[in-house]
Amino acid sequence: MMEGMDVAVIDDEEGMREGIARILRKHGFSVDLARDGETAIELLKQKTYDLAFVDLKMPGIDGFKVTEYINEKYALKTVVIIVSALATVEAAVEVTRHGAFDFLVKPFTPADLLQVTERAVQQRKLIQDREKYLSELNNERTLSRQLINAMQEGVVVLNILTEPVLMNPKAEYFLGKNFRETKNVSDLFADEKILAAVGEAADPSSGMTAERVFEIERNQTMLKIRVASLIREDEVGGAIIIVEDFTEDWKAEQDKNRFISMVAHELKSPIAAIINYINVILTGMFDANPEKIHELLARCNIRGEALLELIRDLLDINKRDSGKMEKSIETVDLGEVLEAQSDFYRGQAEGNGISLKVTTPSEPVVVKADRSDLDRIFMNLISNGLKYNREGGKLDIDLQRENGLCKVTVRDTGIGMSPEEMKNLFQEFYRVRNRKTGSISGTGLGLATVKRVLAEYNGRISVDSVPDEGSVFTVFLPASPGA
Amino acid sequence: MPKIFIIDDDDDLLKAQRLFLEEKGYTVETALDTEEGLRVLKSFKPDVIIADLMMEHYDSGFVFCKKVKDEPDLRSVPIIMQTAAPRELGYKFDVEDPVKREWMKVNEILTKPVPLDHLLGKIEQYLQRKK
Repeated sequence: MMEGMDVAVIDDEEGMREGIARILRKHGFSVDLARDGETAIELLKQKTYDLAFVDLKMPGIDGFKVTEYINEKYALKTVVIIVSALATVEAAVEVTRHGAFDFLVKPFTPADLLQVTERAVQQRKLIQDREKYLSELNNERTLSRQLINAMQEGVVVLNILTEPVLMNPKAEYFLGKNFRETKNVSDLFADEKILAAVGEAADPSSGMTAERVFEIERNQTMLKIRVASLIREDEVGGAIIIVEDFTEDWKAEQDKNRFISMVAHELKSPIAAIINYINVILTGMFDANPEKIHELLARCNIRGEALLELIRDLLDINKRDSGKMEKSIETVDLGEVLEAQSDFYRGQAEGNGISLKVTTPSEPVVVKADRSDLDRIFMNLISNGLKYNREGGKLDIDLQRENGLCKVTVRDTGIGMSPEEMKNLFQEFYRVRNRKTGSISGTGLGLATVKRVLAEYNGRISVDSVPDEGSVFTVFLPASPGA
Repeated sequence: MPKIFIIDDDDDLLKAQRLFLEEKGYTVETALDTEEGLRVLKSFKPDVIIADLMMEHYDSGFVFCKKVKDEPDLRSVPIIMQTAAPRELGYKFDVEDPVKREWMKVNEILTKPVPLDHLLGKIEQYLQRKK
């Protein structure tokens, strides 16, 4: 138990010095000697000793001064034992009052020495343990404080009077209040329900209460407020409030709700029209007029088809968003895609007296893409160009290479759009709704899908339009290198 | 004959409801958007108005109804709103609450599809109340 302890023996009597040293070394102490006060101070400067035996009466710097020095420099580190002759017991007692731990009266037996030493060693160990404990405690406190300060959540700890005793920087930030200027939880929240919950959580007489969660808005931020009892040694010692910013989640939830709401609206609208047509037919008012019934059923048919198309588009968007779309990327001649899509719609164009023209450069313009994605983009744009056109109008499709990009313009002579109508054009379910578009069916997903598909190829789309004159959609796609 | 005005951005729905109500003896006028609707109402003074909610904008119907109620000679005309917007999500309103109903300026909100017999019943109910 005495291994490795460093001891200084300071005595002007050589016999005494060596005697003490011999006994202590035998018991595993490491012992240094000093024959006077001056030497002792030199010795003490170089090393921190666990124990020091100090002779009180020495010429020059005496035991009092050495003890004083040790206490000044090594208080709580070096345990001092005063060695003195019988005549100076009173002085020795005085010294112990000034910081020495114990004293040994000359002459003493080795057993006396060991007994005193034993006590001193215990004292030294006690001091060491306490130091270690204090330093650990200090580290732990610093660490938890650092952790609390570094947390993404705001933390407010309140005593049983609901006065804040701790607020981390995030809590100050979220709640817009300084810890110093916060006297009570009511300075942080105005909401009666939150204050009541905090009061209950902090109140020892209400017992431990379950965590309560509140959502509030502050400075355009959505905050989740969790209130719980603070438990100290199995008793309620106050309350803890955790503040979380959930604005992003909230926005995503809003977007999702808005989307679902739009989907429901768009699915129900054609059904409403179909059911109302059927209501009309079932009144029997046209029983003598089969042509009229036929006309209404034809509209039901068109709305039913559009509904199917919408469901297909929705599933397609979902597939694209979840990344489950399998692609077979190949080198595709864009001019050929435009020609093929135009041919498909030529019949419809002629039916409406619209002249449909495709212009491509003599050199093929090639992109790397999934052919079906390109079909989808231009099918949507050409179909829109016909749907929103006027009787006898024009639809011109033009392909060019420009600065390493393929540029396709789709220009119609249709109803056009106002700047306000164009603003949300590429958003899901946005459709220009006015008396000019009332009878035109569409899912509201066409252009949103075009934009999504183009984004997958680092492409983009822009629109320019003049009401009652027409619209121009311009698509840019990276050209395949070397083509 | 009582006069009914219907505003909705769905041409087919307008057509079906007009055919049905005309068959029942009503005089019907329709419009596809707010601008056209307000124009029609300058000369056509209906006994009941049926309005869609989501037209040019998601809340066009409310704006339209507010403008109608601002017109002194239209203020007392009952308005039945019909919408395909789901009540559970997206928008929240409560026509049972008199304060909110006052703000919304509509007497009643029906969820599409509205069977035409049901619509007729509602119209008759409001015409009855007027008398």
